[in-house]
Amino acid sequence: MNTTLILQSLISGIMMGSVYALLGVGFSLTWGVMKVINISHAAFGLIGSFIAYSALKYFKIDPILSLALTLPFLFLVACLTYKLLIAPITRAKAVIVSSMILTFGLAIILENLMLLMWGPDPRLLTTSYTNKVVIIGPLYFQYPRVIGFLLSFIAIIAIYLFLKKTLTGKAVRAAWQQPDAAQLYGINLNRISMITFAIAVSSAGMGGVGMAYLYSFEPHAHNFWLINLFLVVIVGGVGNVFGAAVAGLLIGVITGLSMAFLPYQWVNLVTFGLLMVVLVIRPEGLFQSEV
Amino acid sequence: MESRPWNKAKAIGIPLIAVAVIFPLFGPPVYFISFLFTIFIYMTMANSWNYIGGYAGYLSFGHVAFLGIGAYTTALAADAYNLGPVATILMSIPSGLVAAAAAIIVGYPALRLRGPYFAVITLCFAFVIQLAVKNLQFTGGADGVWLPSMDAPIEVSRTIMYELMLLLVALSTITSIYISKSKFGAGLRAIKEDEEVAQTMAINAPWLKIQAFALSAFFPGMAGGFYAYYLTYIHPDMVFDVNMSILIVLMALFGGAGTWLGPLLGAGILTIVNEGLSTFVKAEWARIIYGTLFIIVIIFLPNGIMEFFTKRRRSLRTTGERKQNDSMDD
Repeated sequence: MNTTLILQSLISGIMMGSVYALLGVGFSLTWGVMKVINISHAAFGLIGSFIAYSALKYFKIDPILSLALTLPFLFLVACLTYKLLIAPITRAKAVIVSSMILTFGLAIILENLMLLMWGPDPRLLTTSYTNKVVIIGPLYFQYPRVIGFLLSFIAIIAIYLFLKKTLTGKAVRAAWQQPDAAQLYGINLNRISMITFAIAVSSAGMGGVGMAYLYSFEPHAHNFWLINLFLVVIVGGVGNVFGAAVAGLLIGVITGLSMAFLPYQWVNLVTFGLLMVVLVIRPEGLFQSEV
Repeated sequence: MESRPWNKAKAIGIPLIAVAVIFPLFGPPVYFISFLFTIFIYMTMANSWNYIGGYAGYLSFGHVAFLGIGAYTTALAADAYNLGPVATILMSIPSGLVAAAAAIIVGYPALRLRGPYFAVITLCFAFVIQLAVKNLQFTGGADGVWLPSMDAPIEVSRTIMYELMLLLVALSTITSIYISKSKFGAGLRAIKEDEEVAQTMAINAPWLKIQAFALSAFFPGMAGGFYAYYLTYIHPDMVFDVNMSILIVLMALFGGAGTWLGPLLGAGILTIVNEGLSTFVKAEWARIIYGTLFIIVIIFLPNGIMEFFTKRRRSLRTTGERKQNDSMDD
C-alpha cells in the first residue's frame, strides 16, 4: 500500500469528520442538557444547505455569507419549535422516547417542505473555487473541503468557549449537571433549554453548509447524516463537546480509510457495524459524558 | 375481573374475525383484499413489536429485519427446492423460527442496552442485515429473489394469503392478551417500570427480555414468509424497508403501547389514514399531515389513543367517588 494514498484518505477523512463533529456537537448538547433526542437535527442542518444553495444560485451570495441569514433564521425557528413542541413534553416521564417520536414527525414535515420547495434532485454547491486545489508535496487539498473543515473547526471552538467562558454557557452546564440545584441558584431552566436548543439547531445549519461543501445533497439526505450523528454522540459521550469533536474526526478517518480500501457498498456496513460494536462494548462512550 | 380482557376480546373480536374471514366470499374487488392484507401485516408487526416495546419498554427500531429474514428464508427455500404452494406456506413456520433465532443472537448483547441505545442498535441491525443481503451472492444480491408462483387465479391466491395473514393477526393478538394477563407479562411490566427493582424482586430480567424479544420476532418472521409468497418477488429494499420499522413503532405508540388492543387500533387507523391521504392529497402534503399526526399524538395523547378511553372512564369513576365522599362529609 502506498503511503500517499493512506495520507490522502486520512486527510479527507479528517475534513469529512470535522463536519460530522460540528453536526454532532449540537445533537449531543440537546441530548445531554435537555434529554431530548432531536431526530430532526440533521433535517434542520439540511435547511442550511438548501438556503446556501439558493443564495448562491439566485443571488450569487457565497455560502459562507449565507450563514448571516441562515443562523438567525434557524435560531428563531428553533425558539418557536421549542416553545410550541418541545417544552410541552419536557415534563413527561419518558421525555427521551417521546422526544424521539415527536422530532421524527418534525423531520418528516421538514423533509417534505424541502421536497416541495426544492424538489427531489441532488444538488451541488458549485462556487468559483469548487475545482481549485492547494498542493503541498504529494498531497492535494480541495478548496471546498478546506473551507468546510475551517468552518467546523471555528464553530466547535466557539461553542466550546461559549460553554466554558460565558455566564449563559456556565448556566447550561449547571443545568446539565444539577438541574435542581441550578434552579435554586436562580437559573431559569426553561430559558436555558430554549437557548441550548436554539444554539444546537443553528450549529446544525452551519454543519449543513459544511456538508454541502463536501457532498451533493437532497431532501432525504438527513436520514443518512443522522446515523453518523448517533455514531458521533455515542462514541464521544452524550453531552460532551470535546468528545463529539474527537469522535467526529475518528469516524471521518475510519470512513475515509474504508472508502479508499473497500468496495463502495461495504463502507456503510463498516459505519453501522462500528456503531453496534461501540454500543455493545462501551455504551457510555469512549469519553466521559459531560458538557 | 381477571377474565375481563378475554371477555372483551371475545365480545368484540369473534364477530369481527368472523366477518373478516367470510369477507372474500362476497367477491369484493381484489384491491380490497390486498388493502386488508396490508393492514393485517401491520397489525401482526405492531402486535409483536408490542411484546418487547410495549410491555417491556425496549423500543426496537429494527423490527422490519425479522420480516425480511422470514421473507428471505421462505423465498430462498422455495426457489432452491422449487416448493409447491402447501410447502411454501408451511415454510413460514421455520422462517419464524429463524427470525426468532436471529433475535436471540442479536438480543443477547443488545438487550443489555437501554432506552435510546437499544433503539439505535436495533436500527443499525436492520441496516446491516439489509446491506448484507443486498451485497451477498447466495441471497440474490440486489437482483432480489423470485418465488415459484401459486398456480391459481389472482382472486384465489390473494384470498388464501389474506386468510393466512388474518390467522396470524389472531394468533399474535391471542399471544398479546395472554402476555398481558400472565406472570410473564407482569415481569415485563416490572422491567419497564424499574429494571433494578425488578431484579431485586427476583425477576430474571435478561431471560424474560430475551424470551419476549424472540417471541416478538417469531410472528414477523412468519408474516415475512407469507408476504414473500404474496408478492412472489422480493427485493432487499422492499422487505427491509426501514420506514416500515419506524412506522410499526408509531402505530403501536399511537394506539397505546403496552395494551393488547392499542397496536391493533394504531395499525388499522394509521394504515387507513395513510392510504386515504396518499389517494386524495399530493404525496408531500400527505407526508406532512402524517408527520403532524405524530406531533399531535405525542403532545396530547402521550400514551396513545387507548388512554383517551381509559382515562375518561377512570375520571368518571373518580368523580363518582368524590361525590360520594362529599356527601359523606355533609
